[in-house]
Amino acid sequence: MLSHDDPAPDLSLRTLDDAPWSPPEGRLPQLLVFVETDCPTCRLTLPYLNRLAGALGEDADRVVLISQDSAEETRALVERYEITFPVLLDDGLEASRAFDPPSVPALFLVDAAGLIERAHVGFHKADLNETAARLLMGSGHEPRPIADPHDGAPESKPGCSSRHLSSTVGSSETTVAPEPIDLLPGRGARASRIDVPEGEDLYEYCMRMGVSPFLPVVPPTAERVDAFVDATGQPPDRVVGLVPPCYGPATIEKIAANAVMAGCRPEYMQVLVPVVRAACDERFNLHGVQATTNSATPLVILSGPAAARLGFASGAGVFGNVARANSTVGRALQLVMANLGGALPGEIDMATLGNPGRFSYCIAENHDESPWEPHHVELGFGVGESTVTLFAATGMMEVSEHTARTGEGVLRTIAATLSVVWSWRRCGRVDAIVVVCPEHAATLAADGFTKRDARDFLFEHSGVPVWAFEHEGTEGTQNVGTYVEVEIYGQPHYRKFDDPSQIRLIVAGGTAGKFSAVLGGWLAGPKGSQGVTYPIGKESA
Amino acid sequence: MTTLVNPLDERGASAGPPAPRLDSLGGKTLALLDISKPGGSHFLDRLEEILTERHGVARVVRVTKPTYTKPAPSSLVEKLAFVDGVIEALAD
Repeated sequence: MLSHDDPAPDLSLRTLDDAPWSPPEGRLPQLLVFVETDCPTCRLTLPYLNRLAGALGEDADRVVLISQDSAEETRALVERYEITFPVLLDDGLEASRAFDPPSVPALFLVDAAGLIERAHVGFHKADLNETAARLLMGSGHEPRPIADPHDGAPESKPGCSSRHLSSTVGSSETTVAPEPIDLLPGRGARASRIDVPEGEDLYEYCMRMGVSPFLPVVPPTAERVDAFVDATGQPPDRVVGLVPPCYGPATIEKIAANAVMAGCRPEYMQVLVPVVRAACDERFNLHGVQATTNSATPLVILSGPAAARLGFASGAGVFGNVARANSTVGRALQLVMANLGGALPGEIDMATLGNPGRFSYCIAENHDESPWEPHHVELGFGVGESTVTLFAATGMMEVSEHTARTGEGVLRTIAATLSVVWSWRRCGRVDAIVVVCPEHAATLAADGFTKRDARDFLFEHSGVPVWAFEHEGTEGTQNVGTYVEVEIYGQPHYRKFDDPSQIRLIVAGGTAGKFSAVLGGWLAGPKGSQGVTYPIGKESA
Repeated sequence: MTTLVNPLDERGASAGPPAPRLDSLGGKTLALLDISKPGGSHFLDRLEEILTERHGVARVVRVTKPTYTKPAPSSLVEKLAFVDGVIEALAD
């Protein structure tokens, strides 16, 4: 593939109207983007290029799309994505061979001297933003980001093999191509309306529809759902995400219908929309979370001032039936996961035991009783901002510690519970939430523990004694060769966690009682589920 | 009469037909797909022996998913397009 400082080859391409095209004089720098019409990653990229073209204004023709497919297929793509910048055909793939990208989308930023300034393939938000900034600046415009980290699209996505390298060129006529996948469609179908005959019991009717085989719901009447949609200020057919594992489109209207059924209030939609976006974030891997035999299910954690404003409980009884907002938002997510994601217990959801959190698993941080910075501030959000964090959590393990007089004493007890998450011999690729109750948090703060100090202490003191591996053939012993041996309390141990970041501290719960809790996660990291955080109230109309 | 908004995924299920079955294993190229659970390779090692020694399979291609928690990436599926059959192994 051509790269930095290579001269860009001369292009002789044709437009969709079969007119010859060559780069107009004085139109450099220019961004050339090679795409295939059926490549999901190319399709994912197009709305961002439209945004870039919009930012370029009258210089929009500095973005040029080069299609590796037929005029007919390309025309359909242009229409579907409302492409606003020049589109050319690489008939015969000569240009593709000259630039030689291994995959598409392939982006080549050609500078004013005709040299390639940047070249990258696939979808990467950081690369897109950098390339856009350089093109905008090089064309005399203010640089601005075109890819928002929280718009629901993945941070990165590999593309498809470039057509000029494919051995199947020319064979497409012999097979019926499936409908191309849209990884993040902008708009979806409107929900159908169901007229329920007079005399029907609405509650039983909903149960028969199969909308929630496990607990009765509030009937999603058109009036209620419309009010919820109106509360978002967004079009009803806007797609917030595709819900794994069956990837049903979660439109604003479908989320609203499920929110009504869960018993939400319309204003909870400002929380539920980012919750659904987070659930559909590839890093969270809802596909795996929903299909696994493990009991993990999304725990929703609210941070920031919006939680109290909307009535989310963060104090006494925070994991229980404590507030309408907690109970119904957690349940609405579970309904969205079942009704739009398609995973039902015993079918795709293969959890051996399940989890009571599947009725609702939603807490808020107790900022008033916390001596430390909130979780979202740790993650880089502003104090005045509010967020939702999703974490694939198994059940809650309570940690009673009523006799320790010191912060270290409290942490030693919590570390012992952390040491057994997943399975007591399993080390590495695990993560956990530690819910620190206000009394424990006060003891820690009084002893000078910052949040980071406390987390680091827990990391250093969570481990499995080496003697536990003497009995071979039990869970955790297969991977012992990869474990890190350290001394804990002067005894040889294997370290439980790979990194302190696998432990998150959240202050929540009532002011009476020295009960903290540990919630183990599912498989941690990029090969399992990663916790994700989305801002509340940042949705544009 | 009350009107409800359909809260379900309304896309029709589109189950495709299964790939044609093999009439015999002799001379065929088979892929053994390890979903990368611990222990899967032991099972597949033995399966490979049985397939080649007893059933005359000409060639066995071994592929491994990067993680069992996610669908196979398309690059891996593309590799499987050129074999006669695939056996997927899940093991702990």
